[in-house]
Amino acid sequence: MKKVMFLALKDLRVLFSNKGNIFFVFGYPALFALFFGAIFSGSGGQPSGMKIAVVDQDKSEFSQLYISQLESYEALRVVPMERDQAIDGVRKGKFFAAVILKNGFGDKLDRMFNNEQSAIEIASDPSRKMESQYLQGLLAKARFEAMAKKFTDRNWMAGQVEDWRNEVKSANDLDSQQAKLLLGFFDAYDALLKDVNDENFQMGFDGDIMSFATMDVSRERKGPVTSFQITFPQAMVWGILGCAATFAISIVQERRRGTFERLRLGPIGRAHILAGKGLACFITCASVVCFLFIGAKIIFKMPFRSLPLFILAAACVILCFVGLMMFICTLGRTEQSAGGAGWAMFMVMAMLGGGMIPLLFMPSWLKPFSNISPVKWSIFALEGGIWRNLTFIEMLRPFAVLLAIGTAAFIFGVMMLARQDK
Amino acid sequence: MIKVENLKKRYGKTVALDGVSFELAKGQTFGLLGPNGAGKTTAIKLLCGLLKPDEGTVMLDGKTDPTLIDVRMSLGMVPQSMAIYEELSAYENLRFFGRMYGLSGRKLKDRIQKCLEIAGLANRSKERSCNFSGGMKRRLNMICSLLHEPPVLLLDEPTVGIDPQSRNLIFDTIEDMKNQGRTTIYTTHYMEEAQRLCDRVAILDHGKIMDIDSVENLIAKHGGPSHIEAELAEKLTSPEKIRPFIDGQNLNLEDKTVRFQTTRPMEALAKLNHSGLRFRSLKVQTADLEDVFLNLTGRRLRD
Repeated sequence: MKKVMFLALKDLRVLFSNKGNIFFVFGYPALFALFFGAIFSGSGGQPSGMKIAVVDQDKSEFSQLYISQLESYEALRVVPMERDQAIDGVRKGKFFAAVILKNGFGDKLDRMFNNEQSAIEIASDPSRKMESQYLQGLLAKARFEAMAKKFTDRNWMAGQVEDWRNEVKSANDLDSQQAKLLLGFFDAYDALLKDVNDENFQMGFDGDIMSFATMDVSRERKGPVTSFQITFPQAMVWGILGCAATFAISIVQERRRGTFERLRLGPIGRAHILAGKGLACFITCASVVCFLFIGAKIIFKMPFRSLPLFILAAACVILCFVGLMMFICTLGRTEQSAGGAGWAMFMVMAMLGGGMIPLLFMPSWLKPFSNISPVKWSIFALEGGIWRNLTFIEMLRPFAVLLAIGTAAFIFGVMMLARQDK
Repeated sequence: MIKVENLKKRYGKTVALDGVSFELAKGQTFGLLGPNGAGKTTAIKLLCGLLKPDEGTVMLDGKTDPTLIDVRMSLGMVPQSMAIYEELSAYENLRFFGRMYGLSGRKLKDRIQKCLEIAGLANRSKERSCNFSGGMKRRLNMICSLLHEPPVLLLDEPTVGIDPQSRNLIFDTIEDMKNQGRTTIYTTHYMEEAQRLCDRVAILDHGKIMDIDSVENLIAKHGGPSHIEAELAEKLTSPEKIRPFIDGQNLNLEDKTVRFQTTRPMEALAKLNHSGLRFRSLKVQTADLEDVFLNLTGRRLRD
């Protein structure tokens, strides 16, 4: 066993002495997971609000208050800019809508009777009515909330009530009973302002106009939570494929340059030498899986449904490809021929098995063929530990298929090697 | 020590070895001399158990199975190919192969140091061997087989494609091994190497041994006569004056130059010395293994 360890350590040293190998084994699968994960998740998987451009033509105290109110909503992403730029942005699809706060926006707020045209203009795609209505609701909410903030200003309110009183008095078309009622209300309000202290006045306007109690009820998911749960198992399999191909080529290289013969002349059997190769390949594959696992867990906070099942699945996948490594090294007498044949075989396996494009997108007539690919069973087993709701008993099937393929390939490879050396 | 009987090996229709037999005593250096494709490497691989013979037996120290662990431990093979890990340093290569032979600790370190000194690589031991010259790689290739101090050394063309300095270092190492009493089998197609290193040489061609003997005996048997050319100080009037002192055939006198052939050149020279004639120069061209090979096979070694 000690000699097998020395053989494996030697192989690891040889492997990691080449920077290209390090990239191929670790860098490439990580890039694969990140690239496709980012593509499938849109903007990195984070929830995003409705992006709107806001044009402040009024530049009043109230328009500033209104914009800051809009910015406080999670449902919106507010980008302040000029009118033409904002409308052009909507036309090009950069923003869902442009909200223009016209001149006098702030003045119209404190008018008692506002018969003029609206002080807010919304520019949006007419085909997106539902979102447009939703936006109008948010804009109205913001207006009320901004006004509520103004009402908490005692001095502003005192002046405002006086202005409104004058407006009522000068309104010729107002019914006398209605005018009397309003003026009575203003007098009562003046009395209130005198009686109530600042703290109580503030409290009277505090809080939402209409508050809602919310409860988070996530929809039950059958599929993965994030796209990285799809791309990381694929990346792990690609990493393992890379390791298997690299070690298969290294066996051919050892045979070609004579180190394999030199080892065979030593006081160790062929089984020891091949076990050393297998162990080195296993350790490297496991390192790749660990590397990607740590990245997925720490950086992407990717949930793993069952860690023990995932570890078991990873072990079965690695054993399968260690076996295939032994078979591939018999496919050619030179590094080029074995490497070419090996990668050609792996590419077909990956294409059929969902290693390139998830099986979800595969046409139904092609799906049955994926069963012959160990890549399919590998991804399926790894996903079983990550997001598929499979029990241990259900996982036994992919485990058995992987171990059977690995064992058969290993035995066949060893037999072929022995035959070629005769 | 080593006994090979009627070894036969075929690769498909090609006969690589055809009934090869020889014996080798402990401490001897035995050469397998032949052109490329003669079967030298196949013979070495059969000896160390890398290949199985179709017929015949190999006995190493009384044991017929060279794959046995104790037989393997007694063998050190220097393969023709550069069987080293070029990604590793000389030190790492030696440490790895030493560990494979069960060496460890102080002993392993001492042996590595000793072997590095033998090969003249001590001051570059930490350098990756891919940066070495061809000669340095060959030397490293050789010492990887000497680490475990095997009593039997099998060297398969260890000097192919290297510089004279490295070649001499390898020769010195082999001669040291011989002086230490190690048994060596050395394959080569350079007759100078066989002549310098080997006690006995087998001439191998097309998988068959043409003859086995010491270099001197092979030359005496198959090399043909030596050619002697003597330039006299004064011109002779008649060849009859020198004939009584000539121990050879095909006498030819041309102006002041006398030429003849002999199978005993040293005795012929001694006889000329006692003739009373004065010579300006004497040239002796003796036969070598190249002539032996030519006479035995009708071809030159490097044809």
